[in-house]
Amino acid sequence: MPRAQPHLASLHLLRAEIAGIESMPGETRRIPLRVAPLDRQLAGGLKLGALHEIVASRPGDQPAATSFALALAAHLRAARRRAPIVWIGEDFAACEQGALYGPGLALHGIDPASLLLIHAASAKEALWAMEEALKSPAPGAVVCEIFTAKTYDLTASRRLVLAAQKHAIPALLFLSGVTGTGALSSGADTRFEIRAHPSPHQASAARRIPLPGFPAWSIRIAKARAGPIGLNSDFHPVVWTEASFRDALSFPLAAHSGDGPDHQEDRRAFGA
Amino acid sequence: MALADARAILPDLHCFTADAAAEAATLAAITDWCRRFTPLAALDAPDGVMLDITGAAHLFGGEAKLLAEAETRLAAQGFTARAGLGPTPEAAWALARFGQKRLMPEGEDPLRWLGPLPLVALRLEEQILAELAQAGLRRIEDVLLRPRAPLTARFGIALFERLDAMFGRAKTPISPRFEVPSYLAERRYGEPISRRETIEMAILALAQELARLLLRHGEGARRLDLSLYGIDGRVRHIGAGTSRPLRDPRMIARLFHEKLEAACAIESEDDPLDAGFGFDVLRLSALSVECLDEEQANWIRPDENQDLADLIDRLGARLGLRRVTRLALIDRHWPEFAVACVPAAQTLPAPHPNPLPASGERELRPIRLLTRPEPIETIASVPDGPPVRFRWRRVLHEIAAIEGPERIASEWWKNVDLTRDYFCAEDLEGRRFWLFREGLYETECARPRWFMHGLFA
Repeated sequence: MPRAQPHLASLHLLRAEIAGIESMPGETRRIPLRVAPLDRQLAGGLKLGALHEIVASRPGDQPAATSFALALAAHLRAARRRAPIVWIGEDFAACEQGALYGPGLALHGIDPASLLLIHAASAKEALWAMEEALKSPAPGAVVCEIFTAKTYDLTASRRLVLAAQKHAIPALLFLSGVTGTGALSSGADTRFEIRAHPSPHQASAARRIPLPGFPAWSIRIAKARAGPIGLNSDFHPVVWTEASFRDALSFPLAAHSGDGPDHQEDRRAFGA
Repeated sequence: MALADARAILPDLHCFTADAAAEAATLAAITDWCRRFTPLAALDAPDGVMLDITGAAHLFGGEAKLLAEAETRLAAQGFTARAGLGPTPEAAWALARFGQKRLMPEGEDPLRWLGPLPLVALRLEEQILAELAQAGLRRIEDVLLRPRAPLTARFGIALFERLDAMFGRAKTPISPRFEVPSYLAERRYGEPISRRETIEMAILALAQELARLLLRHGEGARRLDLSLYGIDGRVRHIGAGTSRPLRDPRMIARLFHEKLEAACAIESEDDPLDAGFGFDVLRLSALSVECLDEEQANWIRPDENQDLADLIDRLGARLGLRRVTRLALIDRHWPEFAVACVPAAQTLPAPHPNPLPASGERELRPIRLLTRPEPIETIASVPDGPPVRFRWRRVLHEIAAIEGPERIASEWWKNVDLTRDYFCAEDLEGRRFWLFREGLYETECARPRWFMHGLFA
């Protein structure tokens, strides 16, 4: 599009200027998710010392968003493998959706021993704890789950961004009481909208109904500060296998037929 | 004196019923307040406070001044107090109540001071006192100058036991109301302080003093207590725990900063920083200490555990140390008991984290476990088969994929819970649930019920 070029150029110039004003020392490195369509929208990946928001798309998608938050924390922490993940949870969220369960985390590739779990009585306390955790150089990633998003506003998010920049620690804010990304305005770098997605099913040896497979989500990037202009992305399916993200569209479904019968004839016989 | 007699003398006498509980509480509060003079303050029910001021008197300009200060300060609060000082608790008790001169200087002949006191000062039973009076013995010296054996035979062993205790021939310890801190630092102010900033400055100064003491002994504090003595007689205590032995004064000050912040946020009736008329004594004490050797600073790689411990302490000071937790996997198969939240301050970061099981042998477990299983309505094609659809929290879910059952029986030594068959079900949208059927069909119960227990991604 030759006509769009001058606009783009001046926009890039402005962006560079703003980046200069906002510039913080140190980390500008981006961690790619290794899912090509998403990385394109994120202009290469996620910045470490920045705030990323995660919201569920519809009521009932909160567990999916939870597991995405955990997966993202584990992914972003990969650079500092030994540093612990700090998970801050508002008590009410744990009542509503259940508390984090250690044995299940191990399954998702997160060592429960490396998790510091903080129970905050209110959203205000949770946000305070998040800022405090970000100011410390110890954590590898800080995830905060708040149910009541009333206390979370532009000022609060800006404080969190500044705290996250200090030691370049990824800050993930999971708003579990909010569905959809309608009326949110914040200083966050990225906002993910998460939806549950049918997992790549595996044929069952004994039954007609298949077995559930690896965790999968539909991810929409609702906001990306550094992303291409005029971002209007759609949901993109992603699978989480062996502690990394995979594009579900290119995921070989047949390759993971776990304990299904090996022979083509048998499979047909079982109706898979 | 009977009440009628008293009324006859003074017609407009006010009468109240004695409130033993309130009196005990007041006495306890006075005991706490008395800790400003010495950390060893014991409750001496029903009407006394016993202080061990060994080595503390010089801070107040001598014993006489200390007694005078205690009496005047209590008088200012509206209490009438009589203070007595002696070489043993019993002597002090007797002098305070019956002594003409209540301060017995060191090195004096105890007989001269204690001898003229009445025998009531020995705290003997009424009956023994009456018998002694019948025998014409009224003062302590009357008993002391007589031979022991016949008196013991007649009045019992308690008499001379008490006398020996009073004259220091037998040791009777006092039991302080609070444990004696290992180290303490304190400041006294001529002019009471009340502003938050001033108090925090004072805390930092105290922490520096405490740190010097701790450093000299190669120890670090695990439990700290800050006592604020108000001039109105109220004493406020603020405690702080740490996740590791701590000596850095700035860290200590910061812990108390968080505590004060948290206390101010609550705005309760009993605000610890409601200074009232101000505080005139601040004391920072290390209640329990652990060995902490001086470490060589590591320039190249700052200690990561140190940073984490700092974070745990800071969060714990504000939110409470029980709210900052780590997950400890426990080797039990009953899902509710397989994991526990343990306070992070109590457990050291595991040097070798539990090895993750290899992917093949992993059990399927949810990432969120509901606090208690929630009953669901299910429709299954066969009675003991997996469900086809179910309703949870008023939403109908159609099952697209299911894995299970994984049978989890209750532990054999308990016979309470029914056997559970767990399924991992995925609905058409891709939401995944951890369901179970409680009870074996027709062997444990007639109609097994279904429950929702956890959520996956």
